[in-house]
Amino acid sequence: MLHPAAAFRFALSLLCTSAVAAATPQAVAPVLPGLHSKHPLDDRLVGRLLLGELNCTACHEEASARAARRTMGPDLSDVGWRVASDYMQRFIADPAATQAGTKMPGLLGTRPPAERAEIATSITHFLVAGSPRAFSRARVSESEIEAGEALFHSVGCIACHDPRIPAPQGIDVIWGWAGAVDLGHVPDKYSPESLAEFLFEPTRVRPAGRMPDMGLTQAESRSIAAYLIGTSAPTHVPLEVLPELVTEGARRFELLGCAACHALDGMTPPRPRPAGSLDPTRGCLAPDSVDTPRYALSIYQKVALRSALASPPDALSDKDKIDVTLTALNCIGCHVRDDYGGVSPSLDPYFTTSELDLGNEARIPPQLTLVGAKLQGEWLRKVLFDAASVRSYMHTRMPRFGAENLAHLPELFAREDDVEPFEMPIPKGDAAGIARDAGRVLLGIKGLSCISCHDFNGKPSPNFRGLDLIDSCERLQPGWFARFLIEPQTYRPGIVMPESWPGGVAAHPILEGDTQAQIRAIWYFLSQGRTARTPEGVSPVRSELRVTDTTRTYRGRSSIAGFRGIAVGYPGGLNYAFNARTGTLTGIWSGDFISVRWDGQGAGDFNPSGRAITLAQDVSFYRLPDAEAPWPQGPHMDEEHPVDPDPLYPRNRGYRFRGYFFDEESVPTFMYESGDVSIEDRSEAEFSGDTAVLVRTLRFSAASEATLYFRALTGEIEALSQREFQAAKLRLRIPEGSSVLRRPARDGAPAELLLELALPAGTRTLSLEYEIHR
Amino acid sequence: MRSIADSTRLCVPRITAFAVCLAACAVLPPSAEAQELGARWGTANRERAYYRIVDLPIPEGLVIEAGAFVSLSGDRIAVGTRRGDVYIMGRVDEDKPEPKYELFATGLDEIFGLAYRDGALYVTQSCELTRITDTSGDGKADRFETISDAWGYANYHEYAFGSEFDEEGNLYVALGLSQSYHSRALFRGWVMRITPEGETIPIASGLRSPAGIGPNEHGSLFTIESQGPWNSACSLKAVTPGAFLGHPISFNWYEYAPNMGPAPTQPESGSRVITEMERVPELVPYAVIFPYIRMGRSITGFTVDRTGGAFGPFEDQMFLGDFTLSLIMRATTEQVNGVWQGACYPFREGLSTGILDVHFTPAGNLLCGGTNRGWPVRGLEPFALQRLDWTGVMPFEIERITITPDGFRVAFTKPVDESTGADPDSYALSTFTHIYHGAYGGPEVDRTIPTVESVELAQDRRSATLVLNALKLGHVHEFDLGALRSRDGDELLHRHAFYTVNEVPEDR
Repeated sequence: MLHPAAAFRFALSLLCTSAVAAATPQAVAPVLPGLHSKHPLDDRLVGRLLLGELNCTACHEEASARAARRTMGPDLSDVGWRVASDYMQRFIADPAATQAGTKMPGLLGTRPPAERAEIATSITHFLVAGSPRAFSRARVSESEIEAGEALFHSVGCIACHDPRIPAPQGIDVIWGWAGAVDLGHVPDKYSPESLAEFLFEPTRVRPAGRMPDMGLTQAESRSIAAYLIGTSAPTHVPLEVLPELVTEGARRFELLGCAACHALDGMTPPRPRPAGSLDPTRGCLAPDSVDTPRYALSIYQKVALRSALASPPDALSDKDKIDVTLTALNCIGCHVRDDYGGVSPSLDPYFTTSELDLGNEARIPPQLTLVGAKLQGEWLRKVLFDAASVRSYMHTRMPRFGAENLAHLPELFAREDDVEPFEMPIPKGDAAGIARDAGRVLLGIKGLSCISCHDFNGKPSPNFRGLDLIDSCERLQPGWFARFLIEPQTYRPGIVMPESWPGGVAAHPILEGDTQAQIRAIWYFLSQGRTARTPEGVSPVRSELRVTDTTRTYRGRSSIAGFRGIAVGYPGGLNYAFNARTGTLTGIWSGDFISVRWDGQGAGDFNPSGRAITLAQDVSFYRLPDAEAPWPQGPHMDEEHPVDPDPLYPRNRGYRFRGYFFDEESVPTFMYESGDVSIEDRSEAEFSGDTAVLVRTLRFSAASEATLYFRALTGEIEALSQREFQAAKLRLRIPEGSSVLRRPARDGAPAELLLELALPAGTRTLSLEYEIHR
Repeated sequence: MRSIADSTRLCVPRITAFAVCLAACAVLPPSAEAQELGARWGTANRERAYYRIVDLPIPEGLVIEAGAFVSLSGDRIAVGTRRGDVYIMGRVDEDKPEPKYELFATGLDEIFGLAYRDGALYVTQSCELTRITDTSGDGKADRFETISDAWGYANYHEYAFGSEFDEEGNLYVALGLSQSYHSRALFRGWVMRITPEGETIPIASGLRSPAGIGPNEHGSLFTIESQGPWNSACSLKAVTPGAFLGHPISFNWYEYAPNMGPAPTQPESGSRVITEMERVPELVPYAVIFPYIRMGRSITGFTVDRTGGAFGPFEDQMFLGDFTLSLIMRATTEQVNGVWQGACYPFREGLSTGILDVHFTPAGNLLCGGTNRGWPVRGLEPFALQRLDWTGVMPFEIERITITPDGFRVAFTKPVDESTGADPDSYALSTFTHIYHGAYGGPEVDRTIPTVESVELAQDRRSATLVLNALKLGHVHEFDLGALRSRDGDELLHRHAFYTVNEVPEDR
């Protein structure tokens, strides 16, 4: 529960901070956004949080005994590349004056300004000398800045950093929130490259996780870095490293105990002071502290720290641990849990979505109330540690805080959160089928029409693209799922999801209107995962392959070209099919290319998108003994004779497929053999008026003279001339030479157009034209 | 200053007035789906500390249903897909990966095998083995030469899985049955060797539905078989030349394979493999049996850890993916009296899609890929590429189990604690076998409980030698070492392992 005085204390903390800020701008207290959000912590817990976040634990045993967690400051091993040396020097000399709200304490406060500068300079030389890479600041481009601005205001940066442009819906916003981590120093501090690298993997440098990984790609990181640095960043003068200053800097680094908070090779952290040495009226906590290290603590922060130190070092309860973690990492800047946290009204318009009609649920990160009872433990871990995400329409991203910073949360949530259980027994036998069917009906348009607002199994909803239902059982616990379906408003206040069982009473008559049975049926149906049948109302996804500006070649089984089928489509809309098992052009069609089966077990089987003219599937080249001999037919299989009776049919007729190659236009040339003759087979498309012509060139290579027959056409063939033949809607033109049109010897057998090819030793080409209407 | 003190009253759910029931919350209710596909191991959360799963993002618009991987020159890996594309991936090993994908070839027919030699990719697609090259140097394949299509391809479910090159430059293709039950097209159910000269030689018969082929950790050819008729569970099978690998439906093609001699004697359905081996000398017993559901439901591509320790303590072991359960397992093999046998071990669950192949990256991480299209799969992503990275933390695991003349030697990844490690009661063993029959799948039968008569811990406590009262030939020996503790007091990450005993070594 929220402490009754929390709101007041919260307001007080803002007042104190801003009062201090107004009086001495160089002394803004360390900023932790979560402590300025609507948090649930009392003084003592705020203090225990601060003991960890300010790393008091590095020096004080009392702090270690009470701190909510241990943290470290930035890793300095490459800081000379990451941070401009002039900035580094100023920052070390006076952190609070250089970066408003920094958590880095001043270490040189008691010394005169000149000495401070001297020490800071030597440490800077030491750190720059130790960095493998050197700082350099390149210019950024306007386009990157523009992309960065959009990302900065949409992915969630503004939960902890002030926005810089009005919200998309133009609502008046007063900026300058005391909880915002100031970014005014960024152009002086970073280079676009170093900031981009930091933004890409922030927890690598800052292990505490308060600056989380926002799931940015490298390009996105570069854009946001460009935006934050802008075009007016100062020119950087490279530091000329002086060896004597490096040595002095190393000495100072050690003396000042910098390694207490910063990892750096070769530097060991100082030992903390033993318990009993901490005086809560002195040092940082004194009203007018001048000691070092000096934190510019606000009055309230001092109150909280004293409260924590005055309380016994007992273990935090599960609830306290959750509350402190959610506050320390400002999860509550976006998420509500119980009566605390949530997006502040002034930031609300920055939370946007691509699915406006799904309401706030599509924009605002989900509440964490009961999250331990809502999500399956493993799914929660995937969300927290593996960046699992299901709300693709939500522009704000779930940050990755680093597994070690959240490792304790899943079990704590599971222990703390509870809903009344709801049994989901697995139906057996007939009941299983009934439940599965009922679940499918309920999800579909003749049921509760869940699919009107939810995608299903990767298939888009016809209306609003709410999250895919198929992974419900993977993500959700059955108890929460059932309660949520019955009372959506209770479990997700404000959700647009309708009540389908108002007051627990089923609105749909299926399964005799039994609410529990219906919910179990839905759960059971969804539990089938990817194999669940698509509910009515969701359209199947068709895979149409189209040809754009280059020729396309596609292999797959097909009724038009057999299992070893190949489809070729030309720009302009002419296509043919080739059976690579027999070396035969088996179909030709105009218009769109092919549709392909890639759903379910689909092996990529293709079908012509247009109405195709089909030709025979047998081998088309063969050394017939004479023009009267029957053409060798391929083996016939059917349901009653499913086994291939002549598995070597093409091979034993001399045929062998050798593959294909593309030219620069991606036009394929097929390579195959018939006996000793090698054949290259290439076609081009020509268009004229309402006809399309496939111009096919066959190139024969033979070591010695050979006679080969080519079966050019089968079916009802009409000879229009010596060179021109019509079969159904196909017109074939052949060159002058020896051709035979064989009429069927028996009823039902097709006519055949045979070409006798007397091939010389060497190469010869043959050109054929297949003409069809477009 | 913006105001957070929102006056809107938050609507707090009515939490049922249940005292927080710790017991109920600690054990999360299993989902219905768990029973449909088989229970999870339940170890995902602990596995996470040792092997983390890293997603390799796939740019929007690309569909990469990985069916095969192969390493190319440099740090590049080629991935062949079910949709018939070959992508070349770069930068797969970064901490927060953003791999580069270049489409090398497209329009091929379900790719389940990739090999690479002299700048050419050798692609096993359903219809043929194809040598693919980029002769113009523009980064796109433009020449597709048919190396072998000497097998029939005319029915549903006739998948073809290809190996990488062996030391002699041979490639191997394992051919699934027609419709997974019949052998209606030439050599369906057989393994083919394709020599460097391009000759295709049938070398073994009797497969049902293989899903991966390649060398075991000793360089001998193995294939993974799926559960079904004559196979009561998935198994790793040793592909020795001339072998009959268990399913007799493909005997009809012996006349097309004169090198193989006459077809073997028909095995008797309802028997045991160990019994039928007497009558059918060509029958090679299944080397490593994976108890159904407990150890996968449809095991697929496998690879051998040659990472030199970069992937943790399992150098020279086999890693296998499972399609249905979206998990990865380990296996080790040894040859005893000329016969292969060995053990399998759980490794990592919780991948996002059905795994079709696994492959070690240049940095020694395990690349896992696949799709959940077409069959029940636990992982819900339609397709995914994921990486398993060793965190560098040593898990307490059964490193491997090997057989001795009178028992087993169990090696561990960390020293075991003396009191549990030396106690025979810490080693719960049982054995079973399967009925060898033509029906689909089958129960675990003939169960026995061997007695562990003695345990001897090695001086470094990294292994224990068990003497049993009896080893059961033809049985899977199931180990449950749940009572064992490491010297640091840890429980085993996975307490189970399964050793298939086909032979017992002679007393030395």
